[in-house]
Amino acid sequence: MSVVLSVRDVVKTFGAVRAVDGVSFTVQRGTITGLLGRNGAGKTTTIRMITGVFFPDAGTIEWLGSDRDARDRIGYLPEERGLYRQMKVKEHLLFLAEIKGKRGSSVAADAERWLKRFELWDKRDAKVEELSKGNQQKVQLIGTLLHDPDLIILDEPQSGLDPVNMLLVRNLLRELKDEGRTILLSTHMMAEAERMADEIILVHKGKVVLSGALDAVRDSFGKNTLHIDYEGDGGFLEHLPEVKRATIVPNGAEISLADGADPQRILEATIGRLRIRRFELAAPSLEEIFIEQVGAETMTMEANR
Amino acid sequence: MNKMFAVIKREYLQAVRKKMFIFMTIFFPVLMAALFVLPRFLIGRGLGDKKVVVIDGTGALGGSFSRRVEPVAPDPRKALSDQSQGELPQSIDVEYVDAHGQRDLSAVAKPYLDRLNSADKRSAKRIDAALIIPANAFEGSDAKLTFFSRSSTDVISQERLGSIANRAIQRQRLAARGISPGVVDTLTRAVPVEGVQLSRSGERKKGSEANFIMGFIFAGLLIIPSFIYGLETMRGIVQEKSERIVEVLVSSMSPRQLLTGKIIGVAAVGLTQVGVWLLIIAAVGAFGSAVAMDAGFDVSHFLQPMVFVYFPLFFILGYLSFVCIYAIAGAACNTDKEAQQLVAPIQMIMMLPWFVMFAIITNPDSTLSVILSLAPIYGPITMFVRTLVSEPPIWHVILSIMISIVTILVLFYGTAKIFRVGILSYGKRPTLPELWRWFKVA
Repeated sequence: MSVVLSVRDVVKTFGAVRAVDGVSFTVQRGTITGLLGRNGAGKTTTIRMITGVFFPDAGTIEWLGSDRDARDRIGYLPEERGLYRQMKVKEHLLFLAEIKGKRGSSVAADAERWLKRFELWDKRDAKVEELSKGNQQKVQLIGTLLHDPDLIILDEPQSGLDPVNMLLVRNLLRELKDEGRTILLSTHMMAEAERMADEIILVHKGKVVLSGALDAVRDSFGKNTLHIDYEGDGGFLEHLPEVKRATIVPNGAEISLADGADPQRILEATIGRLRIRRFELAAPSLEEIFIEQVGAETMTMEANR
Repeated sequence: MNKMFAVIKREYLQAVRKKMFIFMTIFFPVLMAALFVLPRFLIGRGLGDKKVVVIDGTGALGGSFSRRVEPVAPDPRKALSDQSQGELPQSIDVEYVDAHGQRDLSAVAKPYLDRLNSADKRSAKRIDAALIIPANAFEGSDAKLTFFSRSSTDVISQERLGSIANRAIQRQRLAARGISPGVVDTLTRAVPVEGVQLSRSGERKKGSEANFIMGFIFAGLLIIPSFIYGLETMRGIVQEKSERIVEVLVSSMSPRQLLTGKIIGVAAVGLTQVGVWLLIIAAVGAFGSAVAMDAGFDVSHFLQPMVFVYFPLFFILGYLSFVCIYAIAGAACNTDKEAQQLVAPIQMIMMLPWFVMFAIITNPDSTLSVILSLAPIYGPITMFVRTLVSEPPIWHVILSIMISIVTILVLFYGTAKIFRVGILSYGKRPTLPELWRWFKVA
């Protein structure tokens, strides 16, 4: 595997705030890399430096060997929609391709293909502002991909999408990866990253707190997490002495075991109180790892957003 | 380069498709012309047709208020007043009442004054004004003409009728002292004034208030689009910022490329507009000058070849200066509202030539005009108006053009710098010192 993007000791300060504070990571060709963290962690600022929107105060960023036209081989989906409201959909897509140096009939044909795939072909002559938020997001995504980029940088690509379209995007990203493209995906949705990413970079308060291959990261935390599915009220679980921390959802819980605790004791405690459907000792979820790393209180804030 | 072209093309196509552009291009010249020509035209016609009753206590002035050519009456007094017929404007319809020998004029006037305020607005009997000429108008030192009208502001009809009556009265007084009608006519004939503009080459051109009107029309054509498209440019930049389009743009090209593309695009829009206007003006010159002559002036005076050179030239110079200033405002602001606040004072300052346009047109070679025509930003419009109504020294013209070009380059350079920083800075609007710091660091 070769390195497509390398970020070294990058710093960006806004006034007194160090938004990005010495971030380093690499992105390997043909992978999906998840850039994770809560909002305000420095994800978007990092991405803006990679795409050349901001200059870093310090540090270096290299992509694709950094030849002059390398920028044109990046596709960038900004966090918020960035489309001219007054322009027509297809016209806008062709403009976005043109500023990446691609024009002509082949681009127009590609645009048609994409629009059809995203069920937007009949809206090709509608103004952007006439589309729903989700459809605008899809247009933006097509605009990111239309010029056939090698490195695709997506900042919260699934915001504003319904579950069906989320699935559409998920499948699309896998497909792009299979085509050998490299994807850097920024998100605060841990479950989503867990489904998609090969590699993860966890950012908190401007610093990388954890990075590596997803499986390796999870394994490094050992199999000390209980995943339980049940029927009944599992609220008592978090008060058991063997439980270090429990994330309780309706009819399920993810439990971090206290050091040296025997999971068998927990199973015993549930008998007669819960109807167990699954009881599995495994590696923690990304969400658990995240909480472990950055503290539960920030996660709660994140969840309440 | 191709990317910049993409921006130019987008800016241009988006702008010319807007209804605003079509309106400005086709209707604006008409609107400007209407704005300045129509009021004068209407004033000339007394703002519509008026029906006026003249109650003449002397009974001798009927001819002056009549448009009919009557056979020469045996009465020398009547013959005399007939001389002045034709003074009555077409728009005033006079009903003449000979009240000679009536002792109580107000009694005679009463029914007419009632008709003045007749409730039925459509009634043929309704009149707009009544002029009462007392019997002692010729000799009485305290004689007074009385003009009744519904509105106290109908000064034009009052002035017209009053002067007709006075001239008729003067003739009668002279005739009463034994001066023959022919002599009276010679003595009282008014001498018209013809304004002539003498050029340095000795060429004589008929000058008139048409120059004045044309000056205003062209100044309007020059300055107003700059404000409108400047504002559009500013809005465009603010929109790109507030909707984060700029992130996509700047991740694909340099801010300078983007700004250059935008400004060239907007300039192309302006030139297209001016091109269409010049075609319209040329068409008016070719086919419509007769119409314009009807309205009171000869358009061909202003369609000298240099207008076709100077107008686009000064238009584009003024236009680009304004667009750069608005672009700075746009780059420095995050919302339309903020930008509007910032722009209001700038706009007032930039409107200065418009506020003193009267002084410039009437005194194109005054110190004020010269200074303004050589000043940055104000130069293009003021100098163009000077070339239109006068003949400024050629070095003034060249110097003004040079100053404008330098101004635009400096503004563009500054705009590019502020654009680079401001375009991506979200949050609060920068203070002036901050703006200055951006200018230095970018």
